[in-house]
Amino acid sequence: MKKGNKPRVAVWKFASCDGCQLSLLDCEDELLAVAGAVDIAYFPEASSAMGKGPYDISLVEGSITTPHDAERIQQVRRVSGLLITIGACATAGGIQALRNFADVKAYTSIVYATPEYIQTLRKSTPINDHVFVDYELHGCPINKNQLVEIISATVTGRKPNIPPHAVCIECKQRGLPCIAVSQGIPCMGPVTHAGCNALCPAYNRGCFGCYGPMESANPDSLSAWWVGKLKVHRQDVMRAYRTFNAYADQFRKQSEAHEK
Amino acid sequence: MSQTITIDPVSRIEGHAKITIELDEQKQVRDAHFHITQFRGFEKFCEGRPFTEMPSLMARICGICPVSHLVASAKACDAIMAVRIPETAAKLRRIMNLAQHIQSHALSFFHLSSPDLLLGMDSDPATRNIFGVMQAHPHLALDGIKLRKFGQQIIEWLGGKRIHPAWIVPGGVNEPLTEERRDQILAEIPGAMQIILRTLEWFKEASVKYTDEIRHFANFNTMFFGLVDEGGGLEMYDGVIRIVDAQGNVVADRLDPANYQDFIGEAVEPYSYLKSPYYKNVGYPEGIYRVGPLARLNIASHIGTPLAHKEWEEFRGPNKRVILSSFHYHLARLIEILYGIEMIEKLLNEPDILSDRVRAVAGPNSLEGIGVSEAPRGTLMHHYRIDKHGLITWANLIIATGHNNLAMNKGVLQVAKAYLKGTQPTEGMLNRVEAVIRCYDPCLSCSTHAVGHMPLVLQVRSHDGEILGETARK
Ligand code: SF4
Ligand code: SF4
Repeated sequence: MKKGNKPRVAVWKFASCDGCQLSLLDCEDELLAVAGAVDIAYFPEASSAMGKGPYDISLVEGSITTPHDAERIQQVRRVSGLLITIGACATAGGIQALRNFADVKAYTSIVYATPEYIQTLRKSTPINDHVFVDYELHGCPINKNQLVEIISATVTGRKPNIPPHAVCIECKQRGLPCIAVSQGIPCMGPVTHAGCNALCPAYNRGCFGCYGPMESANPDSLSAWWVGKLKVHRQDVMRAYRTFNAYADQFRKQSEAHEK
Repeated sequence: MSQTITIDPVSRIEGHAKITIELDEQKQVRDAHFHITQFRGFEKFCEGRPFTEMPSLMARICGICPVSHLVASAKACDAIMAVRIPETAAKLRRIMNLAQHIQSHALSFFHLSSPDLLLGMDSDPATRNIFGVMQAHPHLALDGIKLRKFGQQIIEWLGGKRIHPAWIVPGGVNEPLTEERRDQILAEIPGAMQIILRTLEWFKEASVKYTDEIRHFANFNTMFFGLVDEGGGLEMYDGVIRIVDAQGNVVADRLDPANYQDFIGEAVEPYSYLKSPYYKNVGYPEGIYRVGPLARLNIASHIGTPLAHKEWEEFRGPNKRVILSSFHYHLARLIEILYGIEMIEKLLNEPDILSDRVRAVAGPNSLEGIGVSEAPRGTLMHHYRIDKHGLITWANLIIATGHNNLAMNKGVLQVAKAYLKGTQPTEGMLNRVEAVIRCYDPCLSCSTHAVGHMPLVLQVRSHDGEILGETARK
């Protein structure tokens, strides 16, 4: 981006709930500062508007679920400098990727009476299945502080400080006793990407993996521990991996391995 | 005869709103439709999952009103467990639900609608957004940001995060309220109160400028539908269904929400993924009704907090007439914010609010559960069936925007009749159509966006289906 000019930011939406892009508005105190530092050029999907790029930063929310969206993301990539995906939908296909494990026709015919109008892809896929992604922010939804961090890092041209470790480390940082060890609660913290500040364990409930797999996770070992030590039923292991990040590689493999 | 409504799957815009206006042989507007084209499949993929997971799965339907889905879903689960949740838990859920109403109404009024109201419908689309309002009316924008923060902050303090908090659970809530948190929230109340009172004053004064909009913005006869409390007062969390007609006559009262299938039918139209609920006794499509803030103020016989009650009396006028123009959704929203703030304060001061009895624990005791509450945009219904292991076998959801579906179509039609000249829709008309839809504040994530404009495609079609003109947001 040119020096002295405010970077132009675009926010794009695909299949999603809007929760992640709303995190931008949740930065109340930072919102005015963010609005001052960048030029938020939000625009609709109309293709005529897309030509008006390029945009220095594109924030992309949501997963790809239709043929039209599969084309649209290519256009987004073409007009974007940095493309940052935000949230479980964009980084892993989201909760709607649960349909990837079933027959989509069964879906459309049950929910709606006129399936011939539904032009939908068989799978809900993450953005990086379609285009090169510069940076991914995990979570369902993302953490607004991470969003502010990534925007301000980009504006100042430094590397964003987003720790890649597991939720477990955040428990240790907060001084929370491990709920899995001390109470035998099945917790996905060991395989889940940090970023929420160990929210669920702090409320005495097991992490359910809404930030998706961390890169160097070892879910095989965790599953074996759940089944062996905690006597968790295999079906429940399968379901634990099959939520908001069901289609993320590491989670998908675990759920498929425990399906039967 | 409408031979023209077909959606070409290639040009269909996924995840966005699309509108078709149909002309008759004389090139006069005959009909208009608002299409919802997003499909995520929640009713289906929850099958086979334990019912206890439903609140946190269903919250992901919408990032604007996740707490509403948490509440309705948890209530359906309470019914499956066949428990009556502890009093304190119900009060805490109420507080979070009201906080959600406040933040969502603030978002709708300040962030999404105020640019149209303050900067004008025909102003430059590039700056007609909250950032434009920040430039032109910084105090108002700041008030909006603060008020939304008030609501979001309460949700975060109670649930740990603002969007999709995991605190409302089947049987009650996860954690009792601490004294410290209570005092923290109480300390924020005076500030929020000042903002809403001055916004109300300003908006009531400013409303006189919008007589044109008031006349044309979905100003028509429909029934109104929603929850009221046992005494007929405004209610957001529990209660019974009341329906009134456009003249204010009570059409039905004290209906048990759990019997919704007896009085609500759900029509499916080929042009939209959104079902069209209607009042069965009247039939389809005449059984059209509206839900949401305007409906709630129209069906209530009073409001249980003093300041909001006073505003409500002024709103309904001395004859307690029913307010028909959807433009007044805006004012209704502000009155509900006032109610929310007063009510949160009242609940926080109740002696048992810090009780640690906040969760009933039980397994599945009933094979079916229905949870109904008022979401910011209207009545929300979650209905689940389970097998004997507690796994979901079937789910049905009626969302607020669905209830308003028929009314939105009618609203678009009214604007089209008033503003469409010839066959080429103009940008100004597109804005008005958008503003009408905005009044209902559709909560489908596909039709309401966070910043700026709703992506809209507006088509004018001839009686035989030919596309005569099309405008997309530039
Ligand atoms: S990741 Fe979660 S919060 Fe974000 S858009 Fe998807 S469903 Fe919503
Ligand atoms: S603890 Fe796990 S499930 Fe809970 S918010 Fe954090 S990542 Fe999500």
